[in-house]
Amino acid sequence: MSIWNYVVTAHKPTNVTHSCVGNFTGPQEVNLIVAKCTRIEIHLLTTQGLQPMLDVPIYGRIATLELIRPHGETQDLLFIATERYKFCVLQWDPENVEVITRSMGDVSDRIGRPTDNGQIGIVDPDCRLIGLHLYDGLFKVIPFDNKGQLKEAFNIRLEELQVLDIKFLYGCPKPTIVVLYQDNKDARHVKTYEVSMKDKDFIEGPWSQNNLDNGAELLIPVPPPLCGVLIIGEETIVYCSASAFKAIPIRPSITRAYGRVDADGSRYLLGDHNGLLHLLVITHEKEKVTGLKIELLGETSVASSISYLDNAVVFVGSSYGDSQLIKLNLQADAKGSYVEVIERYVNLGPIVDFCVVDLERQGQGQVVTCSGAYKDGSLRIVRNGIGINEQASVELQGIKGMWSLRSATDDPHDTFLVVSFISETRILAMNLEDELEETEIEGFCSDAQTLFCHDAIYDQLVQVTSNSVRLVSSTSRELRNEWFSPAGYSINVATANSTQILLATGGGHLVYLEIGDGVLTEAKHAQLEYDISCLDINPIGDNPNYSQLAAVGMWTDISVRIFSLPDLNLITKELLGGEIISRSVLLCSFEGISYLLCALGDGHLLNFVLNTSNGELADRKKVSLGTQPITLRTFSSKNTTHVFAASDRPTVIYSSNKKLLYSNVNLKEVSHMCPFNSAAFPDSLAIAKEGELTIGTIDEIQKLHIRSIPLGEHARRICHQEQTQTFAICSLKYNQSSAEETEMHFIRLLDDQTFDFKSTYPLDQFECGCSILSCSFSDDNIVYYCVGTAYVMPEENEPTKGRILVFAVEDGKLQLIAEKETKGAVYSLNAFNGKLLAAINQKIQLYKWMLRDDGSRELQSECGHHGHILALYVQTRGDFIVVGDLMKSISLLIYKHEEGAIEERARDYNANWMSAVEILDDDVYLGAENNFNLFTVRKNSEGATDEERGRLEVVGEYHLGEFVNRFRHGSLVMRLPDSDVGQIPTVIFGTVNGVIGVIASLPHEQYVFLEKLQMNLRKVIKGVGALSHEQWRSFYNEKKTADARNFVDGDLIESFLDLSRKRMDEISKAMSVPVEELMKRVEELTRLH
Amino acid sequence: MEGNCSASSPSDSSNPTVGSGGGASKFLSNLPSRGLLSSTVLSSNPGGMRVYICDHDTSPPEDQCIKTNPANILIRSFMLKNQKRDSCSKDGKGTVANQGSRKRAAEKALDGKAAGKKAMSSSSQEGSSRVLDKDLQSLTVEKLRALLKEKGLSVKGRKDDLIARLRGVNG
Repeated sequence: MSIWNYVVTAHKPTNVTHSCVGNFTGPQEVNLIVAKCTRIEIHLLTTQGLQPMLDVPIYGRIATLELIRPHGETQDLLFIATERYKFCVLQWDPENVEVITRSMGDVSDRIGRPTDNGQIGIVDPDCRLIGLHLYDGLFKVIPFDNKGQLKEAFNIRLEELQVLDIKFLYGCPKPTIVVLYQDNKDARHVKTYEVSMKDKDFIEGPWSQNNLDNGAELLIPVPPPLCGVLIIGEETIVYCSASAFKAIPIRPSITRAYGRVDADGSRYLLGDHNGLLHLLVITHEKEKVTGLKIELLGETSVASSISYLDNAVVFVGSSYGDSQLIKLNLQADAKGSYVEVIERYVNLGPIVDFCVVDLERQGQGQVVTCSGAYKDGSLRIVRNGIGINEQASVELQGIKGMWSLRSATDDPHDTFLVVSFISETRILAMNLEDELEETEIEGFCSDAQTLFCHDAIYDQLVQVTSNSVRLVSSTSRELRNEWFSPAGYSINVATANSTQILLATGGGHLVYLEIGDGVLTEAKHAQLEYDISCLDINPIGDNPNYSQLAAVGMWTDISVRIFSLPDLNLITKELLGGEIISRSVLLCSFEGISYLLCALGDGHLLNFVLNTSNGELADRKKVSLGTQPITLRTFSSKNTTHVFAASDRPTVIYSSNKKLLYSNVNLKEVSHMCPFNSAAFPDSLAIAKEGELTIGTIDEIQKLHIRSIPLGEHARRICHQEQTQTFAICSLKYNQSSAEETEMHFIRLLDDQTFDFKSTYPLDQFECGCSILSCSFSDDNIVYYCVGTAYVMPEENEPTKGRILVFAVEDGKLQLIAEKETKGAVYSLNAFNGKLLAAINQKIQLYKWMLRDDGSRELQSECGHHGHILALYVQTRGDFIVVGDLMKSISLLIYKHEEGAIEERARDYNANWMSAVEILDDDVYLGAENNFNLFTVRKNSEGATDEERGRLEVVGEYHLGEFVNRFRHGSLVMRLPDSDVGQIPTVIFGTVNGVIGVIASLPHEQYVFLEKLQMNLRKVIKGVGALSHEQWRSFYNEKKTADARNFVDGDLIESFLDLSRKRMDEISKAMSVPVEELMKRVEELTRLH
Repeated sequence: MEGNCSASSPSDSSNPTVGSGGGASKFLSNLPSRGLLSSTVLSSNPGGMRVYICDHDTSPPEDQCIKTNPANILIRSFMLKNQKRDSCSKDGKGTVANQGSRKRAAEKALDGKAAGKKAMSSSSQEGSSRVLDKDLQSLTVEKLRALLKEKGLSVKGRKDDLIARLRGVNG
């Protein structure tokens, strides 16, 4: 790999951090706005359900999301504050369907200690000001003027240093905040302050309340007429106002989220850390609060946000499990739950660990993640591309073409499958036992290659061979009519639909036939100047049986032409350029837009938007699908038409949001494909590949496929063992049954196909699994699972004891072979020169696998290396060891065989708190740190002095905005040795927000090109809310901010493809590169993920 | 909604109803509805979501690029106090004039003193001596010494001593 890296998201964040409901897109429209860390999703509530509207990327990590209604506005504005101290107020422009910036600003202060308990952003209910608590001891106020415009912000000193929550109170003549804080004796209190805009200071508020629940963490302001505030603790809930104080005890729980149900604030939904949903009711007489009630409603995912939508439907956003749409039923179900889950939204976060495996052994990587936490823990199998579920297959060599035919025009199912070979044609059909067997259609010519077949009207079938066109009855199977090609001219290519046939013979003759009841009529003949390479008359107009346009690919001048039917007049001629002729053309229509697809002999595909009324071609685009000639064919799946491009890299072309998308099919090479929708194999495809004919169904047409394996416990480490076809995981289960919550840790063995638990090894009390590895040792053929553990004692700051357990899988069970006690937590295990390398607290330790006299095996310590704070992440390559330290960035160690010692070679002297490391190549190492940055360091072997050689030089920096938990070498897509992107090495990463991303190392020339493209894209694609892309991607931690370098943002680059043609032209001009070339290069990159 | 809540629950305050089971029904009636999401079969996410590509100029109107007032909070609070005093207190002005000090620090110290005087004059009835204490606490030793000097008291000792001495004089 190299130091020039391309970072791109393969799976977007799914962790829901905030949600709110309001009238954002129109005064009468009700929207649900969901924040997923760096993205905002806008949904519209309709009578039918939630209708997704827009997915808005934000150049920042969202810290606050609020809908606000300043004076004089008829609809809500969206207030967003980001973790990097920027804020913006966004407004919906319904005319242009755009999000416009009302105001924005920087709210950072030069001096100030960032708050420990997270940033707080709140808006006065009467919209007089916005309050922000970003630094300890400071409260920032952004006032509104009476026209709803924001004015200059100012700070107010806040005496309380350990603030847990701040909210604005309703119904106060002056803006009043209520502050929940902890004093230096760890007692918790609330206090109110009025904000005096004139003095820019606080004035003591109307009331305060001391000595609350020790776990009080959340304030809920109650709207008028009741007003006041609810203080949610772990054991009590308190209602507090100037005139009233009510409290109720609750079952111990930590409330994570709340949602207000009624506008008058009498009912609230509370979600706790176990995913239990409660209803909190404020009982009142007139405007006097008389008490509180709490009722358990049921279980949901562990909620991070709750938004009551309408009509008893509630959106539950989750960080630890799938987000849900639930309905609150008036009557409890059999289990006593009032909660009915209507819909789940997949969430991969937090991805704690993952591994890349090739379970189907097709050269296609799959990612298996440890996702979710607590009770919502699961394994997720993430796979790119579209799979074919094989249902039947026959060995058949040399297939030249395939078509399916029906036994009657109105039969919904296909009966016959015509398979064409070089000098014969065979017909397969479903017999009564629903098996595929060879049959005969008497009227067909079976000792010649079939060029084309189609169903025709009047219960007829059409077969085209090199010297004739046969019209056959599909019921009697007898020949009804035959049209012979003129003597001396054989038919080269042909196509048909149910009423028309178009064929081309040698010498550039184009013949158009029409199908009648038992007759074939030669309706038109045209002589073209060159030979014809391919044809299509797929009907895309209003009449599904008749096409008014024909597409024709030509030899010699390498063009594609559109002719009108039936008169065969040339309408459009488009020169393809280059030297490669088209091998397959297809007229098709997606989402109401007509396209002409044109596949070339070298694996490229051109697509044009086709104007069906005048036959004009526009918006030419070129992509590379493979390297071999492509055959295009339409098929439908779930009532939508898609195109299958058969080649060395089979691809499905489909349309989403009026944009053509290309998704790989997980098959190696497909020469022909035809849809085969038989009664026994509904919605199937017949696929010819490598001497085999397969019938199978196709996956749902989308890019990433995610399969979920719920565990009911939290998986923290995962590892695959190919030899035993198993996964091993370290997991923990929370036991809530007893009064005290306990954790139980396990090592579990899972089957790699069924994902069933095959065997479990429980760990000791207080012992937890920290690392897992599948490896073998020198002088031993068996492959083992090695597990590193730590004894986490409640009274210890750092574990001082751990174990390394070595398991063998025998008869599908985990068998403990050896165990070794360690003096600390085993944070990482690596196979290293036939030995085992462990990172134990501050030490790196190497173990040999020794045979004892009695034949048993043991781990024996060989050598070690001290000098880390905590060696958390270790990767090895040859004799080199790269260590990611808790707070001392990356260091490079080397193992010296002769001396049997590990020595430090170099280190990065920056103070980065690491979250993951990976070795890119011999000299370049990649790190992720806890301020959401990525960086690369390079070994300086050529340094003149020891000092220089001992320093790892920082060569790349980038703000990812995601907390990376793991890097792994591998790829989500099938790698083909002869494609351009097949050569690009990639690393996959998984993050807390559920992002799966790819880092690809590029050649320098390509990197420079993309950096230039990125620079130009920044001028055209603006950050929503005027947030700057350049600032967002700059490396940022408490100590420094530095421009991103040697990383380029793939998400921005790939959004080039979503731009309008006009904008593309602008960029093309600025880059001095043709649009087509730009598109091709960017499309290629999209194939990395 | 309101009616339902008050009617359905007898006003039995602070009585835990956790685990009583089956009681939630009465609280779940009359959930707010605007007629949305009313279809019996709720469909969601029929297609992928369109990703927003923002190619218009997003910069806000000129005056809506918000910055924070650069004034230091402490300085601002002194300035505010100064303004207040200027507007309502005459003898405060006199003191400043009398001193005629050129140094900023000294000026501030006098402000503090003036404020102290002002507070003192009204403290007897309103019991705002706490505010006075706080004021003293917030002054620097230098300013405290200036105050003491003016009263003809010793300027030696730690800050706490100085404050105690000043407080003693103030009563």
